[in-house]
Amino acid sequence: MGQILQVVFDALSLGSLYALAALGIALIFGVMKLVNFAHGDVIAFSVFALLWPSVDAVAIIFAGNLPWFLLIPFVLAIGAGLSVLSEIVVFRRFRRANPATMMIASFALGFVIRYFLLMLFSSRPKSISLLPALSQPVEIFGARIPLLQLITILITMAVLIGLTAFLRRTRFGLEMRAAAENFTMARMLGVRANRVIMGAFALSGALAAAIALILGSQTGTANIMMGANVMLMAFIATVIGGMGSLAGAVLAGFLLGAIATVMQTILPPDARAFRDAFVYGAVILVLIFRPQGILSARGTKERV
Amino acid sequence: MSLLSLANVSVRYGRLTAVRKVSFAMKEGEILFITGPNGAGKSSLLRAIAGVTLPANGRIDFDGHDITGRAPEDIARLGISMVPEGRDVFGGLSIEENLMVGTGMHSHERGWRARAQNELAAVYATFPILKERRHSQAGLLSGGQQQMLVIGRALMTHPRLIAIDEPSLGLAPNITDQVYERLIALQKERKLTLLIVEQSSTRAMLVGGRMMLMRGGEILLDGDARALGQSEAMQAAYFGYGDH
Amino acid sequence: MGASVIRRTIATPVFLSLLLVAFAVTAWAVGSRPFNQTIIDIFLQVIFVVGLWIFVGNSGVISFGHIAFACLGGYVAAWTTIKPMMKGNAMPGLPDWLMGMEIPFWAAAGLGAFWAALWALIFGLVLMRLSGIAASIATFAMLAMVNSIYSNWESVTAATSSVVGIPIVRTVWPYLIAAVLAVFVAWAFAISRHGLALRAARDEPTAAAASGVNISRMRLIAFVISAAVMGMGGTLYAHSIGVVTPDTFYLGLTFTTLSMLVVGGMGSLSGAVIGVLILSSLIQVLRWLEAGVQVGASTFALPGGVQEIALGVVMILILMFRPAGIMGNSELNLPNRRSDKAGQPAPTRVL
Repeated sequence: MGQILQVVFDALSLGSLYALAALGIALIFGVMKLVNFAHGDVIAFSVFALLWPSVDAVAIIFAGNLPWFLLIPFVLAIGAGLSVLSEIVVFRRFRRANPATMMIASFALGFVIRYFLLMLFSSRPKSISLLPALSQPVEIFGARIPLLQLITILITMAVLIGLTAFLRRTRFGLEMRAAAENFTMARMLGVRANRVIMGAFALSGALAAAIALILGSQTGTANIMMGANVMLMAFIATVIGGMGSLAGAVLAGFLLGAIATVMQTILPPDARAFRDAFVYGAVILVLIFRPQGILSARGTKERV
Repeated sequence: MSLLSLANVSVRYGRLTAVRKVSFAMKEGEILFITGPNGAGKSSLLRAIAGVTLPANGRIDFDGHDITGRAPEDIARLGISMVPEGRDVFGGLSIEENLMVGTGMHSHERGWRARAQNELAAVYATFPILKERRHSQAGLLSGGQQQMLVIGRALMTHPRLIAIDEPSLGLAPNITDQVYERLIALQKERKLTLLIVEQSSTRAMLVGGRMMLMRGGEILLDGDARALGQSEAMQAAYFGYGDH
Repeated sequence: MGASVIRRTIATPVFLSLLLVAFAVTAWAVGSRPFNQTIIDIFLQVIFVVGLWIFVGNSGVISFGHIAFACLGGYVAAWTTIKPMMKGNAMPGLPDWLMGMEIPFWAAAGLGAFWAALWALIFGLVLMRLSGIAASIATFAMLAMVNSIYSNWESVTAATSSVVGIPIVRTVWPYLIAAVLAVFVAWAFAISRHGLALRAARDEPTAAAASGVNISRMRLIAFVISAAVMGMGGTLYAHSIGVVTPDTFYLGLTFTTLSMLVVGGMGSLSGAVIGVLILSSLIQVLRWLEAGVQVGASTFALPGGVQEIALGVVMILILMFRPAGIMGNSELNLPNRRSDKAGQPAPTRVL
């Protein structure tokens, strides 16, 4: 019983990470058909914003010394700010470009951000102690769950509920949903394109920062590559969730988390290192049977 | 003074010219039908007016503002409401949400929420079926209901000019009759200016008003709908007799 | 008439090859080791970018995964050319027949091409069913999958440790020959029936689908051929530096390769080659500045990372202001009297 519960919690917390990241990707894809390859680097940047630039192995904590109630909003603001900045400086000029061009531009932007971090911090992973109180385990029904895991799941649930309420109950949310379904039509109804897109970028960046906080606390390291793997899983989640469908992306994120955790448990020890490869393989199999994704969104099918 | 005026407007897609130096003007409260065969450039013309497609050259003025190349949302905010071909409803949104999307453009005015509610009540009075199903997903509506929804949605923004692309497309004739009946009643009630694109001239002849015939990206004829509709010139122009 | 046939058939690859030969001859004439190595790097990059172009340029589908094929090729060099004794230490899990194998580099390059093509066929059967952005993301997943396997399969790939002992080939000529071969293969595919059909489908997907062209099969063919070129490039890359690690063939190389293709122009083979030449020169200058330049009494050096940042910025600027790249859709060719290419279609200004 305890062991099964352990797996369930592992799956939920890993799935939470993937779901948050997938949501960040799907939000932007929804409003401007951009597959944002810079998302992973926004995650990394948000963690490094807590450190003072130095190429030493030991991190010089700077903003990281803030109390948690200031630290969390600070990191969220950094993520949102960088994301909005990338919209204003780069993606705005690609409004009329085709999705492939935008995708490559975001790939390039991601590299610029990553190597900017490399320039300031070097490519060596740095150990940091972020919110250390969260690594103590708590006991639930006989399973020892790290407090952080529990908090990750709870925060993700809170984010999902909050975001749903925001999208369903506010005017801005309504405009965003309309824009995600049919951007041009929304504009013809007076919805301000720049505002909606900037809102999507801000939300997406804040989600990236939330992931950064969770990853940073979980692993205790800051690494300029730390967002890459999560981002890839998020891409896959958005594809199998049916590009642009927010609910689909979240569900697929949890699904990937579950597959990865189950693989980790049932694979023979020798093969565990290949867990991710097996997950990608499973995804490719899914795509053979459902090329449009598990839940394909209305109106976001690619037009030929 | 005219409400909408176009001067030498051309629209190009790559090497293809869809609209070729079109000029015309509309007075406030006028009903104008643009008819013509498939590929005549009618939809491209509407898209240029709505700001969705950039005209290659020419100038478009609306209510004293130069709107050439302006963003679609700015044009909408000036009072042009576009109902594109194919009834672009937001399928995942409820009917009521669909109707409310456009009301945000007045959110800087005082009392806009109350006015939006009045507007909503008025649309529901015109199209009772929408009220009945207001919480269901718009994607589940029938074609005729969707057409009513998009017209209602355009009305919600309180426009001065509504541009409609093929309202009868894919609708049964009796449903089309209904849609037109409501549309014309609304036009009279609100002194709306209507710009309607249709492939055939039959509807224009029934409704009356002004009619233009487009073919090959150019306006070939312009005049009273009923008079033009019966003329031989119309037939010849529509099918392109006597060109070669 | 004769001139026109040449113009349409082999003038472009011949021009491009002559350009490459000129580089090789310069390197030979200068005779400096570092310069020689630079030219070798350029030729390898030409192979990668041209290999990528075969798929991306013709199908219009962006692939982030082609460096995975270079990785497959690179490890073929490690498996087949290292001395058996050294192999046993680093990669004890290799089967006996592979353990004992020690073949020359050119044979390894052929095997690398074959091995990559084989896997491209397997992956492609699935991936080519996807289209557009989903396909691009799936190629990215393929890259991550290959990297994850090669980074963890301790007994066969030595995991993330460097595999050393690959015989180093220092002359430029084999790399020149391979780059020229890549150019001709790419051109042959482009003017073949399949290449033409694929480009027609890229430009007019609806019409192509209606005319019954089997797009996924055409894409698969392009995918396999391009993978073979990438595999050959990967093997030669391993021979140019004598070491392989999985991360040699990961995001960094993907980025460089894609940026060169974008800057040169995805629509043309000449663009692919010219993109390499231009960006390689830029990279060289930046490397030189990163290493430090003596200005008067003080040394001026750029911090590490500037190279990639500059590359990224150049790429974004090109995409912004010249999305079709430097060459657009045109090829280097004999001058054409009829100026049928003068009226390049303007980009559609539709939201």
